[in-house]
Amino acid sequence: MNVKEVTTLIKDHVDEIKVANDKCLFATTDKQRYREAMLALKAQDVQHIFTITGVDQGKTVEIIYHFDCRPAVLNLKISLPKNELRIPTITDIFPGAILYERELMEMFGVKVEGHPDPRRLFLPDDWPDGEYPLRKEWREKAK
Amino acid sequence: MTFIVPIGPQHPALKEPEFFKFEIKGEEIVDIDIRFGYVHRGIEEALQRRDYKHDVYLIERICGICNVVHTTNYCQAIEQLAGVEPPERAKYIRVIILELERIHSHLLWLGIAAHQIGFNTLFMLAWRDRERVMDLRELISGNRVTSATNTIGGVRRDVKTEQVPTILRGLDALERSTKYYIDLFNSDRTILARCTNVGILTKDDARKLCAVGPLARASGVDTDIRRDHPYAIYDKLSFNVITEREGDVWAKSIVRLREILESIQIVRQAVKKMPIGPIRIKVDLNIPRNEAIERTEAPRGELFYYALSNGTDRPERVHVRTPTCANVASIKRMFLGGTVAEIPIVIWSIDPCFACNDRVSLVDSHTGKTFNLSLKELRKWRH
Repeated sequence: MNVKEVTTLIKDHVDEIKVANDKCLFATTDKQRYREAMLALKAQDVQHIFTITGVDQGKTVEIIYHFDCRPAVLNLKISLPKNELRIPTITDIFPGAILYERELMEMFGVKVEGHPDPRRLFLPDDWPDGEYPLRKEWREKAK
Repeated sequence: MTFIVPIGPQHPALKEPEFFKFEIKGEEIVDIDIRFGYVHRGIEEALQRRDYKHDVYLIERICGICNVVHTTNYCQAIEQLAGVEPPERAKYIRVIILELERIHSHLLWLGIAAHQIGFNTLFMLAWRDRERVMDLRELISGNRVTSATNTIGGVRRDVKTEQVPTILRGLDALERSTKYYIDLFNSDRTILARCTNVGILTKDDARKLCAVGPLARASGVDTDIRRDHPYAIYDKLSFNVITEREGDVWAKSIVRLREILESIQIVRQAVKKMPIGPIRIKVDLNIPRNEAIERTEAPRGELFYYALSNGTDRPERVHVRTPTCANVASIKRMFLGGTVAEIPIVIWSIDPCFACNDRVSLVDSHTGKTFNLSLKELRKWRH
């Protein structure tokens, strides 16, 4: 799907679409609608998820799902407030996301609900609970 | 009852620390678990503390074998954020170094794969030929491994006209030996016996589990970022995307070997077509808030970066997803139903470049269940 086709497909499930170039677009959605958008993508044979990025935006943590829509790349963003960092897993729709969700959990403290294997991925076993190294608070503390 | 065979973190069959826990029933593998993090260095966090220029050097040290593809990807992402284009000649030089890196990485892989199946003569031959590529890399960049060629806005060293004949001579020798290795993989009894019908990944699984690079291409998934999303000057060069259907270790090997031939063709075209001109431009590195994604085809598959700038000379966030991380999800499928003797070559068939961490595993001899101990619990046991 090209950028135009992706826009038409997901426009009911997202708030704002920003087209970065002819092969890349960013879209913002919320916890209520993101699964509908993903199921719509899956129905169009989108199977490849590049990765999941977490970004600390101060009061919120932004989660970005990067999908390969061949040739377009869709970056689907969801903002979660820091006092409510929970999101259901997407591994039932995209099994390839299993490691990326584990990384999101240990680095940002986002609780991915229903994840089949919620262990740590990169951090050591004796890493203290409640310390999330890619959060801004952690950076301030470690200075 | 099943047994646990731990392989790693330090093991002769592994070239890097990582931990594989195989559950076996007789000779058959029934389950596998993998642990990472053994060499996790926190580079993503460290990138946020340094400026864009300094980060190039840090990025270069994410991976020794594919350092050029990491810096190319990073520099292209930052150039996208800043809205600049490097000069044409710089793009050609990037492609030349990138393809030499692919040749060296695949030959290194070939050597170790041969060693894993006990074919040490081939290991010596492959690494002898790898030296030729290393010499060419040293000729161009001044360094054998960490090339330090890329910078934001172009490259730091030019390819001189008088170097071109040496490069072409080196490529001819490499082409001859690669063709010989392809013949060998099609005819040698040892190789065929150890590699065919072993560690199979089906096309369906490869797509579903988001496999990338030679691993996906060996299972018949026709994907290559160089063709699908051309960066640098790949759109001006002609090359084939190599795919095989079988999905076994043999197919993964042949895909990599045939890719060497394609890389040789790409370098030949690039040195011929390279225009004269500047090799870098100045970039204002106080980049306003912007975000970008960038993809490149590393020797092991698609490499993905997300970068976010915040108006200062430091990035707000850089996220790196390496090809091995994408391929790990597929490993389980390749092992289940296989035998213990296949373990080294199948692990190596994904060309892993990663690490892990684990403490101690205890197996209950009555139930066969396994427990992991944390460092804290381990300390308790010591007393």
